Amino acid sequence: MSSTTESSRSPGALFTALNPDRRKIIYGFAAAIALFVIGDILKPGFASASGIEQILEVSSFVGLVAAGQTFVILIGGIDLSVPWVLNSAAIVMVAVANGSDGKLAIGIIVALALGVACGVVNGLGIALLGVPAVVMTLGMNGIIQGLSLGVTHGLTCGGCTKPPPMALVNAMTGKTLGIDTSLLIWLVVIVIVSCTLSFTTFGRRVYAVGNSQRVSHLAGVNVKLVTIALYALSGLFAAMAGIALAGFGGGATIGMGDPYLFQSIAAVVIGGTYILGGRGHYLGTVAGAIVLTALVSVLLSENAPDYARDIVYGVVILVILVLYGRQRGEA
Amino acid sequence: MLEAAPARAERTSGTRATPRRGQILAQNAPLAVAVVLLVTMLVIYVVLFMASISAFPGAYEAASITDHAVPLSLAAVGQSLVILTRGIDLSVGGMMDLTNSLAAMKLQGGFATEALWTVIILLVGAAGGLLNGLLVAFGRIQPILVTLGTLSIFQGLALWVLPSPGGHVAGGYTSLFLNPNAPSSLIFVVLLGLAWVAFRRTRLGVQMFAIGNDEQAARANSVPVIRTKVIIYTLAGVLAAAAGIALATTTTGGDSTGGDVFTLSSIAAAVIGGVSLFGGRGSAVGAICGAFVLTLLVDVLFFANIDPLFQPFYQGLFLVIAVGASTLLGRILVRRR
Repeated sequence: MSSTTESSRSPGALFTALNPDRRKIIYGFAAAIALFVIGDILKPGFASASGIEQILEVSSFVGLVAAGQTFVILIGGIDLSVPWVLNSAAIVMVAVANGSDGKLAIGIIVALALGVACGVVNGLGIALLGVPAVVMTLGMNGIIQGLSLGVTHGLTCGGCTKPPPMALVNAMTGKTLGIDTSLLIWLVVIVIVSCTLSFTTFGRRVYAVGNSQRVSHLAGVNVKLVTIALYALSGLFAAMAGIALAGFGGGATIGMGDPYLFQSIAAVVIGGTYILGGRGHYLGTVAGAIVLTALVSVLLSENAPDYARDIVYGVVILVILVLYGRQRGEA
Repeated sequence: MLEAAPARAERTSGTRATPRRGQILAQNAPLAVAVVLLVTMLVIYVVLFMASISAFPGAYEAASITDHAVPLSLAAVGQSLVILTRGIDLSVGGMMDLTNSLAAMKLQGGFATEALWTVIILLVGAAGGLLNGLLVAFGRIQPILVTLGTLSIFQGLALWVLPSPGGHVAGGYTSLFLNPNAPSSLIFVVLLGLAWVAFRRTRLGVQMFAIGNDEQAARANSVPVIRTKVIIYTLAGVLAAAAGIALATTTTGGDSTGGDVFTLSSIAAAVIGGVSLFGGRGSAVGAICGAFVLTLLVDVLFFANIDPLFQPFYQGLFLVIAVGASTLLGRILVRRR
């Protein structure tokens, strides 16, 4: 589709482009550290061990959703179905488990399967039917929203008003191996996703498809299969975040996924991933998620009104983009 | 009326002197699909209406549908302009929040004040669009990211203007635009369509299509890419502001989050109307058709006795099927060329 820009990029240019990309990840983490320092100056104790752990814990939910978002943006796609895939996974998990610890495992499996199923349908529509990713995932968001609300009668069915099983609540609000469980889950995801991107053939295929679908296809990559797999992963990660959030917040609520659409995209972009695909890394997204959450926390600790938070949020995204999100000039 | 204009409006993208027949077909197929969808939806609506009330829909129903479709039509046309340059505007919803809030706070207290504030609100829209355009064209930042950032800024400004839902639009002002017993707001839709038909023949309109088709080729042919993009985004901002005012008059009040849904529904309306997300292909008349199709769909679902909770399901399914079908149709026509 964008073959004209792709064809002008030589293999050598791709190689040298790796360095600025790595630099962006370092900038991201530097920005996060700077925000912790500023927060600590404004409000002493902000950057204490427990303060940092709290912020990282909140970032972990954005980070999980943004893992899937990173995958699809790396191939030049986007997943707008994140909010209600997350929300429906939370609802299904709570309803299936029905408050009992014994059924928790089934609930989690069914919820994850639902997320994967939504992602596969997204991928099929995009890869096989040729529907633009924006439209397909936007439609999917409506489809799964309507199904979730309709089938549960607006979240008033017997099982779905129950609190999630205590085992999950205790796990998500407690600690495992000395650190918060949600943080531990995120760490595992960070390691797996980063290694997948950097060290596996699948990871190399993701970058290949993101740089040029046509060239990847000619080189023997099954572009359609990769596309479907990545949207399935995005659904999986959204569902994981939904389950974790339901445990963390003590239940499934309508609209719980809404903030995660733009936050996940913003985290990916702040982390230096190129929105048209082919360049970027999940480690950058991790930095982006922490920057976003730390920024909101700094503003909250200063008792900034809601409107100021929105405005600062937008200005920061734009400033970051002006600093390093600009495309190279076309001579 | 709506069906007559597009056939002429969509002749060619302006960059090629003699388009082949297949290209004309392939270019018009999505618009034709949009018109067919609109007519089908109208027929379904009338049938369902007669089945449930056993009367023909009257002037009141027509007024209700057009009044609800006007804000979405305006937003969708603005969205289409941006999409035609191969961009996307996610800030439409935020701009509508802001202008809707301003309208609910200021559009009262006599004709002179109301007229003055109408102009100011439209200028606010222009300023927001200008900011988008400058960042996209001069800043060389992807439109989706620029407008994601400005969306947040506009939403914040809207909350600042109107912290909680309220305010009202003067009755005299509302009655200028809306008449509950006749679809008088259809005039604005027709004017909008006519303005588009004229606009796409202007130098600016042709340059917009050229950029959307192939930006490098447009630049090589001395199209002022930066200036054109800035103007198009500014125009889109003005249209979003007009949509915000229209929303305030239909709801006769303000809500600083009431415009949010229009970000995605304006994209949906444009796409159903056959505007290609890859730029350079499409018509604002199609986008207006798309806006009416989406508005009618809500009424159709209502009269079909479908549980309102399932409404997003059918809307999503409809969007995917409509776009999937028209994509397939376009492919078949191009292949036959």
